[in-house]
Amino acid sequence: MNSATQSPPTRAAENAPQATSTRPLLAAQGLTKTYRMGAEELRVLSDCSLTVAGGEFVAIMGKSGSGKSTLLHILGALDVPQQGQLTFRDEPVFAPPNRRSQRVSMFDVLNSAERMRIRLRRRHFGFVFQFYHLLPELNVLENVLITRMVGLKTFAWPAGRAAARADALAILQRVGLGERLRHRPNQLSGGERQRVAIARALVHRPDVLLADEPTGNLDAENGASLMALLKGLHREGQTIVMVTHDSSVAQFADRTLVLERGRLRA
Amino acid sequence: MYKLFLTLRYLRKRRIAYFAIAAVTLCTAMVLIVMSVMGGFLDELKRKARGILSDLIVDNRSASGFPLYQEFIDEVSKWPEVAVASPVIYSYALLRFPDTEQTATVRAVGLRLKDAYVVNAFKDGLFYEKFYPDTTTLEPQKMPVIGYDPDAPRVKLHIDKGDFDVELPPRRLPPELQAALDRAMKDGVADDESVISEEEQLLRKAGMSPIIGVYDEASEGADPGWVGDELPGIIIGRDIVAERASDGRYRRFSFYPRGMRVILTLIPVSTSGSVDTPVKAAFRYADDSRSGIYDIDSQHVYCDFSLLQKLLEMSAAVRADGSGTIQARTSQVLVKTRPGVDAAVLAPRLEEAYRKVARNPAHQLDGVDSRLASLVRVYTWEQSQAHIIAPVEKERQLVTILFGIISLVAVVLVLCILYMIVLQKTRDIGIVKSIGGSSAGVAAIFVFYGAAVGIIGAALGTSLGYAFVVNINEIQAFLVRLNPAWQVWDRSVYSFDSIPSTVKTADMIGVVFVAICAATFGSLAAAWRAGSMQPVEALRYE
Repeated sequence: MNSATQSPPTRAAENAPQATSTRPLLAAQGLTKTYRMGAEELRVLSDCSLTVAGGEFVAIMGKSGSGKSTLLHILGALDVPQQGQLTFRDEPVFAPPNRRSQRVSMFDVLNSAERMRIRLRRRHFGFVFQFYHLLPELNVLENVLITRMVGLKTFAWPAGRAAARADALAILQRVGLGERLRHRPNQLSGGERQRVAIARALVHRPDVLLADEPTGNLDAENGASLMALLKGLHREGQTIVMVTHDSSVAQFADRTLVLERGRLRA
Repeated sequence: MYKLFLTLRYLRKRRIAYFAIAAVTLCTAMVLIVMSVMGGFLDELKRKARGILSDLIVDNRSASGFPLYQEFIDEVSKWPEVAVASPVIYSYALLRFPDTEQTATVRAVGLRLKDAYVVNAFKDGLFYEKFYPDTTTLEPQKMPVIGYDPDAPRVKLHIDKGDFDVELPPRRLPPELQAALDRAMKDGVADDESVISEEEQLLRKAGMSPIIGVYDEASEGADPGWVGDELPGIIIGRDIVAERASDGRYRRFSFYPRGMRVILTLIPVSTSGSVDTPVKAAFRYADDSRSGIYDIDSQHVYCDFSLLQKLLEMSAAVRADGSGTIQARTSQVLVKTRPGVDAAVLAPRLEEAYRKVARNPAHQLDGVDSRLASLVRVYTWEQSQAHIIAPVEKERQLVTILFGIISLVAVVLVLCILYMIVLQKTRDIGIVKSIGGSSAGVAAIFVFYGAAVGIIGAALGTSLGYAFVVNINEIQAFLVRLNPAWQVWDRSVYSFDSIPSTVKTADMIGVVFVAICAATFGSLAAAWRAGSMQPVEALRYE
């Protein structure tokens, strides 16, 4: 096995010696999120605050419906809170509370806060979802490459294509799917799909890997194997924020937080 | 890059898009076919109308005609811009075929034949002149008859019906006509516009030299020659003396032989506009003409200008009371310009030239002639035929617009299909946004998708439409073979031999452009929805 297949090409891996830095990579302060359901309001997050240091593996636990995924989506700049602020490397992710500016619109390129969130998702964050969320029309390699395609301008693609492909192949080797490049998601098992999802989340070397119940849809064996993979990545310096309802999964993390009634506690 | 990549991938994998492509293809083909057929019809109409007219027409739109035409012709013929100017008289008349007791209402046209050969395409439409060059004349003539050479070796003919053989002497036309026919045949002129009678086919099969057209026969053993009184020649519209077959060729009848005697009854119109006593004159059928416009070919006969002028009492004459001279009149003067001359620019100059001639006191026009002269105007051929061309042009525009509106169905279909795809792909949209795809980028995927549907549909539609238009007559023939009732283009009704169709590059480019724009436009609503989706909501979409 060559070195490319032995180590994941994560940006954090390059800084592995300084893993778990004291400097907060992500800092959330007073996050509040309310869903309106007809006349009723459901407050899922209430004044949530947390910090995630570089190289840390944080697990957020909570019951189903406790708002774990909502918190993860906000931390990953996929969703916006009604109140509170999130900073990434001390840079604010959300605009001041202004409902219009927080909403995604066709003209998000004109909205600097949304532009920043797109940049974070494109370059600094990688997502792993419970239900894999692979693109069914693409094969394994293409599902991984699409992240790099999104990150590159059209005119830069011809020059960056070879490097992107090499990175995709390396990460797929790492997750053990080097032989399944041409397979489509419907030709893979659940565990394999989740590995593709992890490869897709890591191929652009994100600073933070956000995993939403990564083992929630897997059997015990595949779940354990996947957690071993995540633990290995973390050892190499990858910052991971994972939400789960399973305490056996949470024990892989350095630190576990519990989300209860919209509030986080250690 | 991901936009184009996903567009192409969705295009390949989402088969429902094929329906949108099929809709754009059919609509593109439909509009192109309609534009081409209508455009071809219009072009053909203009070409045919142009063929019977000249570049400019001097006319006063009065049945009484106008005076001083010859003075005007003499004047403008000196101009470098004018190739030839020739007078023409029109009059309503009855044409009678004494042998068949057939009478037809016609429009008699008096023209100078040699001039008519120059000012327009009249010569190209003459039947006998084509196969017997330089033999068609409006001068007095006798009737040519086919004769037999009794000394030549006889030709054996087998008659299938009854199964017996006959021997006939070789037939010959009068020497002038035979020589002309031989000359034309040698030049490779072929008769592809007549239905060959069974009898003629039999004679040709037996080895007799072909005779084109219909001639009377001399009694057996007689020499070919010219018979009957000398009568002025008349050229008859082809649809009067021949029958148009469904394949566009003409079937000629033995009872309309070349040189037969016909009677023309003319209705002179005085300068005051009243109808004078009808005048009867006998003519010989010298030739038949075809302009390609049915209304003309079924209603027009052509005779010598001077003769018709005389018969219609439009020649110069001394007034009964001896008070002066009545000027000779014509209905029109046709002016052929030299190449490169703008007829529209020359028209007012010609009009002014006529005014100048009319104002010349030396001509001493009386009150009636002065008024007739004051009505003279010069029209370009397009202006003179505007009443025919303009409605067809409008019809073409209207039909194109109507079919364009019908084609909106394709836009709606593209919209529906893409909207459906967006709904199906909602989670994919969430995924793309979660890995950093912008709203505009996601929307672009579906705009590209619509454009791709438009490009493929337009390309297929243009190919289909082009192939259809190019083979439209073969398709029609095929359908007729399957069921004669499916003859939508009846050549015996329309003047054109084949369904006119011209695929113009500009039309093609226009249709393709509009198809692509329409399909792209159809994708906008779906693209807007896709772009505006909240990533989290899209990811949670069930």
